[in-house]
Amino acid sequence: MNGFRRRLAVALLTLGASNAVWSQNVPAGDAVNGKRVYLVAGCYTCHGRAGQGGAMNYPAPALAQTQLPVEALKAFVRAGPNDMPAYVESQLSDKDVADIHAFLRSLPGRLPAKNIPLLNQ
Amino acid sequence: MSDHSRDLSGAGRRNFLKGVTLTGAAALTPAVVAQTPPPKNPARVVPLPNLAVETLPPPADPSNQTSSGGDFMVDVLKTLDIDYLAMNCASSFRGLHEAVINYAKNVKPEILTCTHEEIAVAMGQGYAKIEGKPMAMICHGTVGLQHASMAMYNAWCDRVPVYVMIGNIIEADKRAPGVEWVHSAIDPAALVRDFVKWDDQPASLQHFAESAVRAYKVAMTPPMGPVLLSLDAELQENPIPDRERLRIPKFAKVTPPVGDPGALAEAAKMLAAAQNPVLICDRLARTPAGMARLVELAETLQCAVVDQGGRMNFPSRHPLNQTFRRAAVVGEADVILAIEMNDLYGAVNSFSDRIVRATRAIFKPDAKIITLGSRDLYLKSNYQDFGRYAEADLAIAGDGEASLPALTEQIKRLVNAGRKSAFEARGKKLAEAHLATRERAKSDATIGWDASPITTARMCAEIYSQIKDEDWSLVGNGINIAWPRRLWNMDKPYRWNGVSGGAGIGYNAPASAGAALANKRHGRLSVTIQGDGDLMFAPGTLWTAAHHHIPILYVLLNNRAYHQELMYMQAMAARHGRSVENSHIGITITDPNIDYATVAKGFGVYAEGPITDPKNLGPALKRAVAVVKRGEPALVDVVTDPR
Repeated sequence: MNGFRRRLAVALLTLGASNAVWSQNVPAGDAVNGKRVYLVAGCYTCHGRAGQGGAMNYPAPALAQTQLPVEALKAFVRAGPNDMPAYVESQLSDKDVADIHAFLRSLPGRLPAKNIPLLNQ
Repeated sequence: MSDHSRDLSGAGRRNFLKGVTLTGAAALTPAVVAQTPPPKNPARVVPLPNLAVETLPPPADPSNQTSSGGDFMVDVLKTLDIDYLAMNCASSFRGLHEAVINYAKNVKPEILTCTHEEIAVAMGQGYAKIEGKPMAMICHGTVGLQHASMAMYNAWCDRVPVYVMIGNIIEADKRAPGVEWVHSAIDPAALVRDFVKWDDQPASLQHFAESAVRAYKVAMTPPMGPVLLSLDAELQENPIPDRERLRIPKFAKVTPPVGDPGALAEAAKMLAAAQNPVLICDRLARTPAGMARLVELAETLQCAVVDQGGRMNFPSRHPLNQTFRRAAVVGEADVILAIEMNDLYGAVNSFSDRIVRATRAIFKPDAKIITLGSRDLYLKSNYQDFGRYAEADLAIAGDGEASLPALTEQIKRLVNAGRKSAFEARGKKLAEAHLATRERAKSDATIGWDASPITTARMCAEIYSQIKDEDWSLVGNGINIAWPRRLWNMDKPYRWNGVSGGAGIGYNAPASAGAALANKRHGRLSVTIQGDGDLMFAPGTLWTAAHHHIPILYVLLNNRAYHQELMYMQAMAARHGRSVENSHIGITITDPNIDYATVAKGFGVYAEGPITDPKNLGPALKRAVAVVKRGEPALVDVVTDPR
């Protein structure tokens, strides 16, 4: 297990790692500041302004309406896999990450694809 | 013609001109000279034309001829069925140029006027992948070849036959003073020899005929690649001394090498016995037959296929297409057949771009790997495009497309009813996974559906809506976004034309134009997803497309940056614990934003944009498609989110 995976596993175990826990554990971040930081720190360059995801050499997952708990998001931010920059506290504080998390949770996220004719052709 | 035919500074002529100059000056100007005071600033005096020198007949050396070496070169090119000669005009090949336009009447080859040599080569790369044969290009052997070299490297890495010719003046005493010297070289091909398959500098017309046919044969033999012929200017320009003795050799296409039957039989046994075989391929489909052959193999085995996208190898909506489940299917595989892979190591390992750069195998330790391809048959050392060495349990040298029928037949012989039933069960599971992946793609595409800047998913869905009922061909995808393959039904061999190979920016615009030129003959609608950064390397392509009435829709994915580098810069700043906020410096293409529609219009191309509201995109694309269907190029500038 590499360093990132170990840290992520610890974060998830600490949280109990169930979807129920995750959904109840949404931190009270500041979504407005989170949007600002998301853009300034350049998260959008891989994950998209709408949190739709993207790619560099590896896929960058969609983050809108993320189901990750904030601690797991933090683990990714501190030691992301593959291409992802690893941000230190001085670049992106824990509060900033919490605010980003709140912003991602506030995004509209997915729509029913069946209702969009262009996606059914 | 005498050895002095090009000798503009020969003693006789020089003395003659000198005499004329002195005599003329003495005869025409003494009175004026006597009456006019010397100028205060002689350096600023503009000399009067020397009418005597400029109007006297030339010296009595041969000045007309009834044939030229260029004519014969055209005859040779005609035997090779070369339809086009892309070029940026230059004096070192004026002989061949004149022969094409007057002797050949600009037919086979027809000249394509390009504003940069890189455009000429890249057009040939895109064209060859659609048409299955090279066009030719020609340029100066020095400065032109330097411009052309990056595009040649792309073609080399992409294993595409590109037929490059250059002009040179071999004999020193035949070069005019000045620029002909700086445009001549002893060995001009040395510049690109690391990434051409073969080159020559013929010393006679017979030599040219043989080398021209050989070059074509070498270029077209898998693994294909660029070739280069350096053409001496005198050989092109001077009369043919002995036409009746010249002979153009017959061209016989080389049959692609098929893998050893014994090795293919062993591979068949391994694949037929495997629980989870996986086929992974990159530059497999050389011809329209390639896709059908891979489909037959996959359906025989009912196994997963991962298409790396170097060619249009496998239909995007085939139930066995597991391209976007690569890590999952490779991780479960017990036998992997890698066909015409350029970077097998990268396909079966993950890579971590950290201070300590590390890789991790994503395949099982006991999985068996079989390689089949022609790449190992021709490698060079300096440029490292061959990738990291990938271990294999069975390595078969042979052209993938040519070898597949024999492999498939061997497998069919090994499959009994029991195995067939197991195969069908496996195929059913894969089909379910494929369907789930497609549904996931649709769902992913909905995120930010109405956002501005427009998401690349929305842009691709809008494009497909406008072309899906046409006989379309995606001839380029500048930053290789995955949405077309995730959302579109890519079901024919020309639906996709592959990537640059060398990842050299400046490929997409001209290569797409070249491919569109090939598609034009087949009545197909060509569309390309064009990166903004790439377009600025070779914007003159748009003029060439307009000038030659090449029907192509450029959809500009305008993220206003060399965006991948922006992501890299963030990673660097993050690693060093410094500000990521400055990452845009030297990377973004803003302040001012480029108005690409105006740029395109300036080149004579129909254009719309910049489009920022997704609601306006569909109608704009519809209007642009109508222009393309009338036989002209069009561009729609779409301001998009980065990826």
